Amino acid sequence: MSTEVNLKQGLRKLEYPICAKEALYKIYDLICSRITSIKNMDLALDLMAEFVFYEVDRRGHKRAQSLSPLQELQLVKILYEYFDTLTSESGRNTVFLSLFSGTTINSRLGVLTKFISMGIGIPSTKILSSASAWMQQLGNTSPNSCKFAEGLIQDYFHFYVSSTEKITALPEISLEFTANFLTAIAENYYNTSNKKTTTLPPSKFIFPPQKLLETVTLWISQNTSLCIAAQQKQAVLPPGAIAMEATTPIAGLLKWCILAPIYRQDSKEYTDLHLALLNSIMEIPKSTPPKAVCAQHLTSSINPILTFVNDLKNKQEKKFSEIINEDALQLSLDRFAQAIQVIASVNAMYGHTDDLYHQIKILPFNKLMNIIQNNYKNKVVVL
Amino acid sequence: MEIDLEMSDEDYVIQRAKDSFKNNPSAAKAWMITAKIMYPNNFEVQFEAYQIEKTARNIKEAAKCFSQLTIKFQQQPELWKEIEKLTIALRAESNNDEEKQFMCDMFRHLSSDVQHKLLLFTADHCEDTMEHCRLLLLLLQRFPTAISSNGPRLVDTLISAEKHSVDGNYPISPYRKLLICDLLPLLASEKVKVDLSSKLLQKLLQKAIEFYFCYLGLNSSAIQDSETKIEDPWSNLFGVIEFIGNQLNWEPQLLDFSTNWSKEGYWQKIMKFCQSKSKNYPLEDKQLLYCLSIFFVYCLFEYNSSLTPESSPGQTSTTFIMVEAFSDSTLLNLAEPKNKKRKTDVDVSHVSAPCITAEKPQYKHIQNNFLICMNCWDLLNSSENLQREFIKLNSNLKLDPLLSSFVIDYALYKGMYDEALMFLHKVTEPPLLLQRYIREASILYFKKKYSFCLEPITLALPLLPNNKGNLSNNLIIGGNQKHFHYLPLTRIAILQFLTKILTRCIKENMQHQSSADLSIGHIFTLTQLDWPQEEDMIPPLLEKIKQSRSFQYHNFQNYIINVDILEELTYLWTNQGGQIQLDILPHLGQRRIGTRGADKGVKEEIKQAIRRQITRSNEKLDDLLVSFILNERAQILQTLKPPFSM
Repeated sequence: MSTEVNLKQGLRKLEYPICAKEALYKIYDLICSRITSIKNMDLALDLMAEFVFYEVDRRGHKRAQSLSPLQELQLVKILYEYFDTLTSESGRNTVFLSLFSGTTINSRLGVLTKFISMGIGIPSTKILSSASAWMQQLGNTSPNSCKFAEGLIQDYFHFYVSSTEKITALPEISLEFTANFLTAIAENYYNTSNKKTTTLPPSKFIFPPQKLLETVTLWISQNTSLCIAAQQKQAVLPPGAIAMEATTPIAGLLKWCILAPIYRQDSKEYTDLHLALLNSIMEIPKSTPPKAVCAQHLTSSINPILTFVNDLKNKQEKKFSEIINEDALQLSLDRFAQAIQVIASVNAMYGHTDDLYHQIKILPFNKLMNIIQNNYKNKVVVL
Repeated sequence: MEIDLEMSDEDYVIQRAKDSFKNNPSAAKAWMITAKIMYPNNFEVQFEAYQIEKTARNIKEAAKCFSQLTIKFQQQPELWKEIEKLTIALRAESNNDEEKQFMCDMFRHLSSDVQHKLLLFTADHCEDTMEHCRLLLLLLQRFPTAISSNGPRLVDTLISAEKHSVDGNYPISPYRKLLICDLLPLLASEKVKVDLSSKLLQKLLQKAIEFYFCYLGLNSSAIQDSETKIEDPWSNLFGVIEFIGNQLNWEPQLLDFSTNWSKEGYWQKIMKFCQSKSKNYPLEDKQLLYCLSIFFVYCLFEYNSSLTPESSPGQTSTTFIMVEAFSDSTLLNLAEPKNKKRKTDVDVSHVSAPCITAEKPQYKHIQNNFLICMNCWDLLNSSENLQREFIKLNSNLKLDPLLSSFVIDYALYKGMYDEALMFLHKVTEPPLLLQRYIREASILYFKKKYSFCLEPITLALPLLPNNKGNLSNNLIIGGNQKHFHYLPLTRIAILQFLTKILTRCIKENMQHQSSADLSIGHIFTLTQLDWPQEEDMIPPLLEKIKQSRSFQYHNFQNYIINVDILEELTYLWTNQGGQIQLDILPHLGQRRIGTRGADKGVKEEIKQAIRRQITRSNEKLDDLLVSFILNERAQILQTLKPPFSM
């Protein structure tokens, strides 16, 4: 008890942000030493709240005033220097995951986003790989990961649009981070399940900004192994942590390409992105069981297509034959069918595959979709 | 979009890809990926995919498609055509053509496994043997790992192809060239021991030797075109011996042609090798024969080419020929410091070693080249076995043109005059006739066949070259050893040598003449060319004239213009000189000038004649002498007649 008091007393004598820097080293000692305990962990969490993020006062009460923008910037700089100089990957990831744990992330997301933004800009492979581990452990399609990704996109695609070299070079800094980042980004657009867009009608979907679309297309076209990068390299986690499997961005990004035509997003990049994704799928190494694309994830494209068809039928009073021959619809279905076929052929699909093939039957007629359905049926029969 | 429901699924998917290709290549490729993955055994899909990538000039993607095609669809004629295009492009020296360039670039992006398969496949499908061999060679060049498996096979193919080709007996056939110049170095470069029987290896060596020797024998105009031109054939041939010799476990010392190699050093190695072998050295071991023969021919080449050194630009090159020249025991031996043997000098330690001279010190190497050749030749002829084998080798190699000049020099050097004459007699090629006549004249002189000397001399004179040259100071050396000289084939040098021969013929035959005057007159005429080197010839002759108190020479006005000789003659004619009668003006006939005062007019005429001759002293002596020998043949011959034949 006395060491705990002494520790805190010592830190309290320091001004912010010096105390934050000191606290980070103490935290490392507390949670990364060979013998650690719940008590040490609790103390570390206390130190984070009081000295690093300046959230509570000495009595544990929430501070009325949070960090000023300047202090926040100072903290980001301290975090950067701290993580960039830590040599042990396991130590880095342990501290990172404790600083931004699931329970505290809501209040700390702002700092995290700025911190990682700096990690991209300077850049630091070490920091990005910790961030990658963090996204993966939290779930890279989880709301927090998505919000975090959204923050980075704000920084790099809305604020600093003029300078794109840093973000274009991201895969060279950390391939795994880029992969997890892509998975999160993919969920932020063309998505009805996203809280932000649930209240909006499908026609008011949020579409990725053109620059983002171009960057994503470029990344994937240039590197066919990018999509599965996070699955290829496992981060070093704190002892006892259960490694979470990364979701690849494939299904999410395919959804963009599939839905783009029917939402009249006719940017040329969607065609290229679709091709790049197919090429990436072709390069997926064999794994048993398959783990690259989840069937349910693909299924999520079906509903928006059906909604679109219904809209045409109800609002524009088009005949069904007209709707079927709608170029946009057929393009959308072609892409969808191509994707399913290629994923299935390289045996990269897991989850409820039967369900997917069952559900695509309710889609409007498309020759290729029909062919792959028949092939699937035949294959099942043969098996 | 119209959808033709009658279409087969496969055709539909391919059609979609083709349709979108013009407007949207990315979409077309997406269709292609789908089609390829759905119908992996459909050639058309895969081929179309390849065509799309090729048309779009996507090297990497095209290479990927092409790899898959090569692995799966080797039986498709359409693919063959494409493979054919590829191999044509690979073989082209420069690819200005865009498609060819693309094909080459694509080939580089194929995995080496596929590259290998592709070339092997093409070679196997090639109906033209030459084409087949070239392709296999291309394969081996690009994939050294294929050498040990495919190398021996290609060797067999090339040998049998050569045998059955039109010019099967001529060593420079295209097949032979591939075999020797392209394939053998590849086999040699492979570190792994290539599995070739020793019989085949010897055959290869034989073929290589034949090829390079024949090539070296070609005149330069025939090898101007780049197809046949070979850089540094000797080092290539040495490479072949090194490789094959190593395979056959030959003495490494004899196979070392590395950078510090020298003729002298190699000769020492051969000598050492011979000394190390006992008398019952196995006859079937061919290493000495091959190494020695090749080395000999190499030295022979060096020797022959040193006989016509390269001239500086703009100057005519001069050829040298070995002739037996003269030595004079009354002179001090200045030409060669006696018994001072240099280390590198090959065996010249005979008691009275002949002396070899050349015009200038820089031609010294001609003599060294000759001596090494001679040593090799002696060694080759030292054992019956070697001799027999070399004759056998020679009959295939057709070295005679190369040997022809050397064997004459050799016979000459060894004093085998009859053999030398026999060889000379065989020389009938017009450019070599001049050399033949010069040497015949020289040999006949040394054989003391004086009367036969004149004919080759008179045959040689019309053939004298335009290249003028200079008088030599090296035709006579002091001492009594034999003297050989490398005579430059220039007008003056040849004429000087021939007149020297003729002078000596006449002089040495003089004792057999009833009257010496004609001989003396001829000698006066002849010595004028090499004046004053031949001055010493004159005083004994003047003494002879004094003794006989008269001198008759009706060619005087035509040929004697040397001031010194004219002065001497005039002196003899004067009162102080002894009032020798000079019968030098044919029109005066046999009129005696003896009676005092009676023939004052005659005296005056002689005086005038001598004066006239003195004014001519600047005339060109070479022309004068050529016309003397040619025009006065009969008179000259008279002085060369052997005793008792008159």
